[in-house]
Amino acid sequence: MHIAALKPDFVGEVSAVDISVPLSPDQVSAIEAGMDRYAVLVFPDQPLTDQEQCAYSRNFGELEATLIGQMSKPAERRLGPVEIGDISNLDPAGKLRARDDTRRMYALGNRLWHSDASFRATGAGYSLLSARVVPGSGGNTEFADMRAAYDALDPPTKASIEDLITEHSIAFSRGELGFADYGAGNEDKVRPVRHRLVRTHPVTGRKSLYLSAHIGTILGWPMPEARAFIRDLTEHATQPQFVHAHRWQVNDLVMWDNRTTMHRARRFRDLHEVRDLRRTSIKGIAMTAEQVPALAAE
Amino acid sequence: MSITIQELTPGFVGEVSGIDITQPLTKAQAAEIEAGMDRYAVLIYHDQRFTDDQQKAFSLNFGALEDTASATIVTGRRLDADMADVSNLGVDHKPLARDDRRRLFNLGNQLWHSDSSFKAVPAKFSLLSGRIVVDAGGNTEFADMRAAYDALDDRTKAEVEDLVCEHSLIYSRGLLGFTDITDEERATFKPVRQRLVRVHPATGRKSLYLSSHIGTIIGWPMPEARAFIRDLTEHAVQPRFTYSHKWRQFDLVMWDNRSTMHRVRRFDETKVRDMRRTTVAGDRSTVEQLAA
Repeated sequence: MHIAALKPDFVGEVSAVDISVPLSPDQVSAIEAGMDRYAVLVFPDQPLTDQEQCAYSRNFGELEATLIGQMSKPAERRLGPVEIGDISNLDPAGKLRARDDTRRMYALGNRLWHSDASFRATGAGYSLLSARVVPGSGGNTEFADMRAAYDALDPPTKASIEDLITEHSIAFSRGELGFADYGAGNEDKVRPVRHRLVRTHPVTGRKSLYLSAHIGTILGWPMPEARAFIRDLTEHATQPQFVHAHRWQVNDLVMWDNRTTMHRARRFRDLHEVRDLRRTSIKGIAMTAEQVPALAAE
Repeated sequence: MSITIQELTPGFVGEVSGIDITQPLTKAQAAEIEAGMDRYAVLIYHDQRFTDDQQKAFSLNFGALEDTASATIVTGRRLDADMADVSNLGVDHKPLARDDRRRLFNLGNQLWHSDSSFKAVPAKFSLLSGRIVVDAGGNTEFADMRAAYDALDDRTKAEVEDLVCEHSLIYSRGLLGFTDITDEERATFKPVRQRLVRVHPATGRKSLYLSSHIGTIIGWPMPEARAFIRDLTEHAVQPRFTYSHKWRQFDLVMWDNRSTMHRVRRFDETKVRDMRRTTVAGDRSTVEQLAA
C-alpha cells in the first residue's frame, strides 16, 4: 500500500490495496495512520457493493445511519440497509428528484461547509463516500483542513476561542437555506447539542477548529454575534490554502475524519444528470462537551 | 486647485486629493467626482472634518438624500433622519450593551450587502464619514460587482441574466438568527424585487446585484435559490475583487451601491466607533414590483 500526499499533510491518495476484500490488521493500522496524518484519503478505482462498503467501513468502528435515513419512512428509501446513506439525486423509484422535492431541498444543505453529524452529541468519526455514478461536470466535494486552519489563527484569537462551546442542530443549517420541513415526529432530532469549538484529536493530540454549518450559537453569546463570529472563522478556515477539491471518478472511495475536517458538495446539473454516491459513517465515540441534562439522559 | 484621483485598486478604488469637500463644490468639481465614481465605484478622501450639515450638503451634489428611518428598526435616534447612524453608540453616546437590540440588528452590516437593496428604488451612492474610528478591526471591505460579473463563465452569465431576486432586511437579519422584529417593522421590511444582473445607467456596464438581503429568486425553491446566491457571493468576494479600507479619523468613503457590495469587519465594541452615513437615493427600480 502506498499513500501520495496531494497537499502537504492533507489529503493522501492511496494505491496498491484492494478494499473490497477483508483487510489484515496491519493494513487497517496503516490506513488509520494515514488518516491521522492526512485527514482525507482518496482510493481511486475501488468498485464496491453496499455490503463491501459496510464491511470495509466496520474496520474503523461502529456504523451510524444518516439522520435523513432515520427520519425517513421505509417507503421513502431507495437503498436497503439504513447504514448506507443515500447521497444521490434519485427518488425511491430511481428517477431524478423533481425540483421542489422536499428531500432535494434537504440535501441542498450539503452545499454548506459542515462536519457530518456534528448535530449529534458524539459527532461522527470517519465518513466514507463511494461514487457509483458521477455527473459530467460539477458536483465536486471540497475538504477543508481544520487543523491547519486552527494553527494559522493568531494567538489572541486562539486564546479567545479556547473554551467556547457551540450549539449544533440540523435545524440551524437548514434554516440558513430557508428549509424547515422535517416531517412530523422528528422534533427530537433537531434539538441542539453542544460541542467545543476547539477540539483535540485523540490520537495525534493536534488541535482543530470544530466548525460546521450546523452551529447556531455560542453558549453565553447573543445569537447574532455568535453567528457573525462563526461566519468569520468559517471564512478563515475555508480559504484556498486549507482546501482541496475532489473531482469524482466512478468507483472512487473517499474517506475523511470529521473531527479534523469540514466538507461540502458543489452544484451540478442535478435536474438533468445522475450523481449516485453512497455514504457510510463511523459513530463518534466521545462527546467534546457536556450536554444539557435532558440530552445526556438520551 | 485641481482634483487628483490616485488608483488604489485598478478600475475599482480611487483616493482623491486636492479638494476640500466640506465646502461647496462647483458644478465642474461635482461632475468630476461623479465621473470618478463611474470609473472607480469607490472613492476615498482623507482629512475631511465634516459636520452633519456639511456632509449632507456634499452628498446633495449627487442627488436627493434617502430617508434612513425606514432602513432600520424603530428605536431612539441619536442623529437626524437624513443621517444613518452607523456607530455603536446609544442615544446617551455610550457604546451599546452587548445584548442591545440595535447592536444585534446592526451586526447584519458584517454580511456583504448593497445599501437599501431592500427598497423598491434602491440607493445610488453611500457616503460614510469616520468621526471616531477604532485602532484595530472595523475595516470596511468593498467588492467590485462589475468585475465579478465579467469573470463569470458564459453559461452562468446566461443563467443569471433574467433572474429576479427578493430582498428584505428580514432575510439578512434572519441569517444571523435575529428574528425579534415587530409587526410594524415586518410591514416596513416587506420583500421587494431586484434584477440579479443590472446595468449601470451611466457606463452601461453590467454587474451582479448581490446582497445578503436576498432571500430567494422568483420561481425558484428557496433553498436552491439561497444555495446559488451563496455560491455567486463567494465568487464575487474573492480577494481579487475586494478592497479593505482601514479607517483614519475624518476619512470620507463614498461608494456606488449599484456596482459594489461592502461589509464591516469585527472590532472591540467596548470602544467608540462613530461613523455617519448619508445615502443618495436612486432614481429607478431595477424591475417592476408586485402591485401592493
